[in-house]
Amino acid sequence: MCSNSNNIYLPHLATIEAITDETPDVRTFKLVFQDEQVRDSFTFRSGQFAEYSAFGAGEATFCIASSPTRTGYIECCFRAVGRVTEALRALEVGDTVGVRGPYGNSFPIEEFYGKNLVFVAGGIALPPLRTAIWNCLDQRDRFGDITIVYGARTEADLVYKRELADWEERGDVNLVKTVDPGGNGAGWDGKVGFVPNILAEAAPSAVNTIALVCGPPIMIKFTLPVLEKLGFTDEAIYTTLENRMKCGVGKCGRCNVGNVYVCKDGPVFTARQVQAMPQEF
Amino acid sequence: MNKSAQKLDVTPLVDESYCAAATQAIRCEATRLLTEGTVAAVIGYQAGRRKGTAMPTIVSSPEKAAELIFSSACVNNLALYLTKAKKEVRGKGRLAIVAKGCDMRALAGLIAESQVKRDELVIIGVACAGVYASGADRAAPLTNATIARKCRECVVHLPEGADLLAGSLPQQPMLTPLESQELARLEALTPAGRWAFWKEHFSRCVRCMACRQVCPFCYCEQCLCDRNRPQALESTPRPAGNMAWHIVRAMHLAGRCAGCAECERVCPMDIPLNLLNRKMAKELKELYGYEAGLQPQEKGPLAEYKDTDDQSFIK
Amino acid sequence: MPKTITEHNLRLLIDSLLKDRFRVVGPRLAGAMALYEPLAKGEELVLDQLPRRSAKEVFFPVCENILSFERTEAGLQVTDVDLSAMSETVLVGVRPCDAAAVPVLDEVFSWDYKDEFFLERRRKTTIIGMACTKSDDACFCSAVGLSPGETKGSDLFLTPLLGGGYGCQVLTDKGQQLLARYPKLFVDTVDARLAPLAGGTGDRLDLKRIKAWLDDNFESPLWNDIAERCAGCGACAFLCPACHCFDINDEGTTELGHRRKHWDACGFGKFTNHASGHNPRDLQNKRYRNRIMHKFKYYDDKFGQTLCTGCGRCIRHCPVGIDIAAILREIESRSQ
Repeated sequence: MCSNSNNIYLPHLATIEAITDETPDVRTFKLVFQDEQVRDSFTFRSGQFAEYSAFGAGEATFCIASSPTRTGYIECCFRAVGRVTEALRALEVGDTVGVRGPYGNSFPIEEFYGKNLVFVAGGIALPPLRTAIWNCLDQRDRFGDITIVYGARTEADLVYKRELADWEERGDVNLVKTVDPGGNGAGWDGKVGFVPNILAEAAPSAVNTIALVCGPPIMIKFTLPVLEKLGFTDEAIYTTLENRMKCGVGKCGRCNVGNVYVCKDGPVFTARQVQAMPQEF
Repeated sequence: MNKSAQKLDVTPLVDESYCAAATQAIRCEATRLLTEGTVAAVIGYQAGRRKGTAMPTIVSSPEKAAELIFSSACVNNLALYLTKAKKEVRGKGRLAIVAKGCDMRALAGLIAESQVKRDELVIIGVACAGVYASGADRAAPLTNATIARKCRECVVHLPEGADLLAGSLPQQPMLTPLESQELARLEALTPAGRWAFWKEHFSRCVRCMACRQVCPFCYCEQCLCDRNRPQALESTPRPAGNMAWHIVRAMHLAGRCAGCAECERVCPMDIPLNLLNRKMAKELKELYGYEAGLQPQEKGPLAEYKDTDDQSFIK
Repeated sequence: MPKTITEHNLRLLIDSLLKDRFRVVGPRLAGAMALYEPLAKGEELVLDQLPRRSAKEVFFPVCENILSFERTEAGLQVTDVDLSAMSETVLVGVRPCDAAAVPVLDEVFSWDYKDEFFLERRRKTTIIGMACTKSDDACFCSAVGLSPGETKGSDLFLTPLLGGGYGCQVLTDKGQQLLARYPKLFVDTVDARLAPLAGGTGDRLDLKRIKAWLDDNFESPLWNDIAERCAGCGACAFLCPACHCFDINDEGTTELGHRRKHWDACGFGKFTNHASGHNPRDLQNKRYRNRIMHKFKYYDDKFGQTLCTGCGRCIRHCPVGIDIAAILREIESRSQ
């Protein structure tokens, strides 16, 4: 591959260095760029995404799930639901994938310095927040209280189980984990209930606090009123939008919500921005 | 071109009163059905902004029924709007539909395939002398030069099995069967010649899917050509995928296509798709004595097995 | 003194360009219609027909490779496309509605990330526009602020003369260079009376007011009324000189194949379908709304231009008779 190509659709090649099964159908790849120069120069910010290729199947869009504070590799996390993700899933350690990016905007982490943070995530939507969580934990003294409310349908559907344990053990993070009613096994030591309700119960203070919310549309829909009730303003709530994308660079014309291009203007938006959009996402 | 052919090219095939009578009958029936509440909506035609054009319309109030028309510009097969592909329309409730003879054959097929329930549908049949060819000058009346190719060989000017027949048919001159002639020409070619013919046509296909989208029988929720797990055929507009797509489509329609030729009419690249459908229909008629859409029949010959079926292809 | 060129010399110009190894693309017969296709000789140029597909494909082909891949013993090899191999091209006989769309497309392909597949062809192409003397009732270039004599997008612009031949207007350096390269084919004329241009291309629409209505009417019963009949094909988008949505797909096997960029259309049901099955534009009226919004609001919001040049192709070839010019008039009247 020619690294000085001006072909914006040409991906960097990366080797799968490690594979972690998060749930029966969700998998994490640890990827290392094959070109040494790319490995050294590739930088990104929490919240940005990339186009990952399984050559022969195509490209799929996911966030970069690792933290920019951890250099030398990136991670992505995906559920095998389509042609590309199934082809990615079929790959093994040592195989090659393509990576185009990083694309899109990011969480303005620097603006959060000195503030408390509340992360609210549901199901497979933890990865876009996980990059920000580690980013903040790796510079822990810059932030006030950190609360993480994370839930999934069942225990088995929780991703990053090892890291949940890490966060639970740390004295400087308040992790509230939950599963939907009926999703708990005998040994479950977390909460039982839907994320919005558990968030209301945890009731983190909105004073000097930023909320970062990621989850399925239904979870977001019920979480925003809870945050509002807790006193969060729309500017203090950040979320990410997902839309079907192909180019990732503002050309192909399919990810727009009104005149907002999720690939360029997003994927990170404040609740105020999301509310101003036509409701077509 | 000889003199008599030239004369035929400018002689109107129908006079205005024929369309006016059909229009009047459709409006009357639609107004009655909507006023009495027999149907929630009538699927018919309304005039377009441009002279000599018409377009499908879905009329839900008696007042709007006055906008319904019938003319030689009423080219669309409205049966499309009764299929699963058009859930928005089906959701309105009981429907009435304006149907030409060729559209009626599609309706018969859809009834046979359990896509449409006959007793939930009011069919306003319309006597049809033929419609404009795609690209014909709509400022000129319907003539030998402007009539659609399929209409030159129409055997269903009067739809059978409708609830009402709007209009009456003016006397029809015999027109040269150009499509049959073209089909015969293709059949006489060598396989290589036919391959070259279709290759040339399919090379222009841009995969706009208009052929599929207007076809009453292309109602699959998940079209084979949209599937990617596994991918049956290439989705990009390139010769290999284009050829595969049109062959797959012809095969899938064999024994079902009732010959409305909408696919050919709407093709922006002028691909004579109905020749494929005609050929398949001809084969089915020869092999099984079957013609699609003549009457609602439970199964077409390709959907059932009989001991008496031709088995000569098994070698 | 104005430069002119005879029709004979225009065809000679094409032959000369071909001899000089240029790729020459222009309206050429393909069955009963014309398409912008590479010309093999000047004689092939069709002068009296608007090509069925627009000229966008000269810069943004129906389908093109954007990379190739092969699994070898040394691992997976990806091969880039050699953009420098694209030919110097002269695009001749382009209608004003097609030429005007090219600078409109420049915006999307060059903002932020640069799509060099489009831009390299753009740099290497000289556009010879040609005024329109014939229109039909689907044409509405004047309604969207252009005209049958519009020079936007052309490097050299030809206007038919009363006595035959064309007046030549040089608009850019590229146009000047072309003229200078073949000086003998262009002659000075004292009497260059222009032939009357096409009429009836639509009264000017108030696009600002239309946009203002669109700003406020994402939700409107209009969308249902006009889109209920929409069959959901891509004919309008594919024939349009300004529609530029595309898809990217891998073809071949995991061992050897190509990644291809090819036209796509926002009218297709699966266009915005997520892998999860969730579809933000799940109904045809939402998809049709996006088409109008993109052309007359979103693109304007982003790039200050309208994504429509009034060529009328979508009107002529809509399978179900949807008439965008009539829809714009309707929106204009609602915005009173």
